[in-house]
Amino acid sequence: MLRKKKKPLSEYSSWELVGYRFRKNKLAMLGVFMFMFILLVTLFAPLFVPYEKVIEQNVVDKLQGPSSKYIFGTDELGRDLFARVLYGGRVSLLCGLAIIGIAFVFGAIIGGIAGFVGGKVDTILMRIVDALMAVPSALLAMAIITALGNGVWKLVIALSIAQVSRFARTVRSSVLTLRNMEYIEAAKCYGSSSFRTIIKHILPNGIGPIVVAATLTLGAVILSISSMGYLGLGVASPTPEWGTIISENKVNIRYYPYLGIIPGLCIMLTVMAVNFIGDGLRDAFDPKSKN
Amino acid sequence: MENNLLEVEKLNVEYITDDAIVYALNDFSLNVKPGEKMGLVGETGAGKTTLALSILRLLPQKVGKIVSGSIKYAGENILEKPESYMLSLRGRRISMIFQDPMTSLNPVKTVGDQVLEVLDLHFPQLSKEEKNKKVDDMFQMVGIPCSRKNEYPHQFSGGMKQRIVIAMALIAEPELLLADEPTTALDVTIQAQILDLMKELKQKFNSAVILITHDLGVVAEFCDSVAVVYGGRVVELGKVEDIFLRDRKHPYTSGLINCIPDLSSTTPRLHPIPGRMIDPRVKVEGCCFANRCPHCMDICKRKTPEMIYENGHGIACHLFSEQEGK
Amino acid sequence: MALVEAINLKKYFKTPKGLLHAVENVNFKIDEGKTLGVVGESGCGKSTLGRTVLRLHQATDGQVLFNGEDIFKYKRMEMHKVQRNMQMIFQDPYSSLDPRMSVRALISEPLEVVGFRTKLTKAEMKEKVDTIMELCGLPKDHANLYPHELDGGLRQRVGLARAMVLEPKFIVCDEPVSALDVSIQAQILNLLMDLQDTKKLSYMFITHDLAVVKHISDEIMVMYMGQVIEYAKAEDLFKHPLHPYTQALLNAIPTIDLSRRNREKITIKGEVTSPINPDPGCRFFKRCPFACEDCKKEPRLVEVESGHLVTCVEGKIL
Repeated sequence: MLRKKKKPLSEYSSWELVGYRFRKNKLAMLGVFMFMFILLVTLFAPLFVPYEKVIEQNVVDKLQGPSSKYIFGTDELGRDLFARVLYGGRVSLLCGLAIIGIAFVFGAIIGGIAGFVGGKVDTILMRIVDALMAVPSALLAMAIITALGNGVWKLVIALSIAQVSRFARTVRSSVLTLRNMEYIEAAKCYGSSSFRTIIKHILPNGIGPIVVAATLTLGAVILSISSMGYLGLGVASPTPEWGTIISENKVNIRYYPYLGIIPGLCIMLTVMAVNFIGDGLRDAFDPKSKN
Repeated sequence: MENNLLEVEKLNVEYITDDAIVYALNDFSLNVKPGEKMGLVGETGAGKTTLALSILRLLPQKVGKIVSGSIKYAGENILEKPESYMLSLRGRRISMIFQDPMTSLNPVKTVGDQVLEVLDLHFPQLSKEEKNKKVDDMFQMVGIPCSRKNEYPHQFSGGMKQRIVIAMALIAEPELLLADEPTTALDVTIQAQILDLMKELKQKFNSAVILITHDLGVVAEFCDSVAVVYGGRVVELGKVEDIFLRDRKHPYTSGLINCIPDLSSTTPRLHPIPGRMIDPRVKVEGCCFANRCPHCMDICKRKTPEMIYENGHGIACHLFSEQEGK
Repeated sequence: MALVEAINLKKYFKTPKGLLHAVENVNFKIDEGKTLGVVGESGCGKSTLGRTVLRLHQATDGQVLFNGEDIFKYKRMEMHKVQRNMQMIFQDPYSSLDPRMSVRALISEPLEVVGFRTKLTKAEMKEKVDTIMELCGLPKDHANLYPHELDGGLRQRVGLARAMVLEPKFIVCDEPVSALDVSIQAQILNLLMDLQDTKKLSYMFITHDLAVVKHISDEIMVMYMGQVIEYAKAEDLFKHPLHPYTQALLNAIPTIDLSRRNREKITIKGEVTSPINPDPGCRFFKRCPFACEDCKKEPRLVEVESGHLVTCVEGKIL
């Protein structure tokens, strides 16, 4: 487009306004920057260190603190912690995103149907969701992994099942409020089909809180992957994962604290970044916050 | 001259928001005598509620600011008083009724306790029996059986809730009652009940009332005197009879009267005021009604009209100022 | 033949406490170019009635005839065709417009929905939106604004334009001016009446404001807790209301007519309750100053004068 001149705020579409408000939020932008940095560094890990380093044992150099040779130091088997954290991040982040994705899609479908159709369908779906919610998600995930056997993808499935109920509830409640808006009734009035109404009116207006919930849950999910890893479920050694790394080194953490601090910091920074983004999105989607 | 209970002098209030300054009240002046029933009429955004909040000094903190002017209550400038003084004033000598009875009651306390709380705050010297007696009397007066004292707000209908709100506002026998659209959320038959009740209680306690409303009918029914508010200013001020019956009116007042469909009128079309409300974020030069006024003259765009009094009836319009008009 | 006619229309809602009789045996006729006013206090079923007539609610029983044909019998596709002719404008100018759509998008939306069937080109659609915007008094440069940038009056004009764009013959107006300031209210009322004159529209005008309803209506129907208690020509109803409730209602309106200030007040006690599993008989019974044993008889509208129907005169159920 030729028109380079910045258009006045009043001409912004509501989506552009959301973007504008988000970009003005410094903390949120910091979150985006941090998250992108962590994601890119872990995804392009092979550029920094080859994968062999992750499993290569170098007993001579075991339990060495951070130095120029080993930036993050080594563990008791002499494996390079830098390589393990980098490649471990891939598992943590990608699994986290996958879990959120799966939970988001299924949650939106279940919650959307329950909210829009209502009546008996709503009652049945919501009771199932309630039942799932009644079981602590970690316990549920453990039970599922025990039943299905160990493995990264089984962990993903297990944890997404635990999250679906949360999303279903969020989606349902926002659909319920929107369904009673007069503009939905107006749409019915000029003959808009249910499908069209959902796509054109309910989705754009309801997506805000759901996206916010998704980002905020991402932090929690990364934490639970890590705690599952720490418990030895899901990601098994020697495949690195931030939680697993801490758990492998738990014996040595007392005297070699960097073994816990470094992967711990990675988890913390990621979760923090994601929470900043989530908070920023929540404020940006709020139409009451002007500019 | 009689002493005024409330004197608002050249009050300027601004709301400072992220992107603009909203000029809510501009040189707003108003006097209320003890026992007077004053109606404050105006449309949305005219600054009616802002005035009530300024009198109680309850403007939203950091956002709302009283820039200049004075509010004298019983001869004392309350803008210079400490907060502790205001605490003894609010609910005791000045009380307020809000528009929405659904949200102005605490849902987790019984209505009896909520009325009692006002007494606990302002009359700690009374004994428990005396207080309970007073609450019972008050319930009787607003027409709620005392047996319902121990019920919660949600068990009452809208009109009943408004009665309880009135009981809370009047139990301390205040000298001034600020009623902000007390009947707007209610049905007509209930509105009639509440207005009757307010009239009756007003007689009993002889409080002054400032009734804030957008409904000229309610004003005609209830008030002695009227202040017509537009753009954060009083544009016309006088007795009810004068406002509705005399021919010389502020153009805004006559516009307002002409555009309500009335039961007795038979005109096929209404006469709306053209245009819309001025943007309160722009400080106006001249008369705030100039852009919608059918009689707008050159001077109206340059000079803010002063309030001109004639037999106690005030109009702020250049049409009526002798030396300025033609 | 009347354009819109309702015959024994009923709408009940199931609630946990029992069956809510929101609309009970309502009959009315609206001729082309005429306005039927529906008045009553909150909870009298007037909004439900409007929505049932448009089939936004499924009627429990009864018929609604449009041009003499029962629309409740229509299948989906046939219904779409009638729907173009029967539109609605809503009370709340804030929640009735999708906040994420521009004015142009909002007004062209009904055309797009219908466009699936009638195949309008983009240019035709744009032209149509422009004409409708002008007709409804919306400045051209407002087309790209969003609802939150407009004031109540302009929003209501957008709502009206959205209904008008399909060129309907009949519009249900559900309290279209109650949320507006008086000066804006007058503008919208005038606009509605101008449109009626030029387009021969019929309105069902639902409101709680008697002055407004008198101003705009040809005939008026007074509802109380789901029942129609009085039905008359506008002037007749205001000149001599017959039902005790109508009398009280008219008496209760505050007016600027100072001579009415000292009128004898008819205040009715109590408040409206919801008609859940109501007892047979007149539902105004509990608040009625003339209440007697007679009130337990099932009320029905009786024509006492030409065109003036009422269920009860001074406590005598007819």
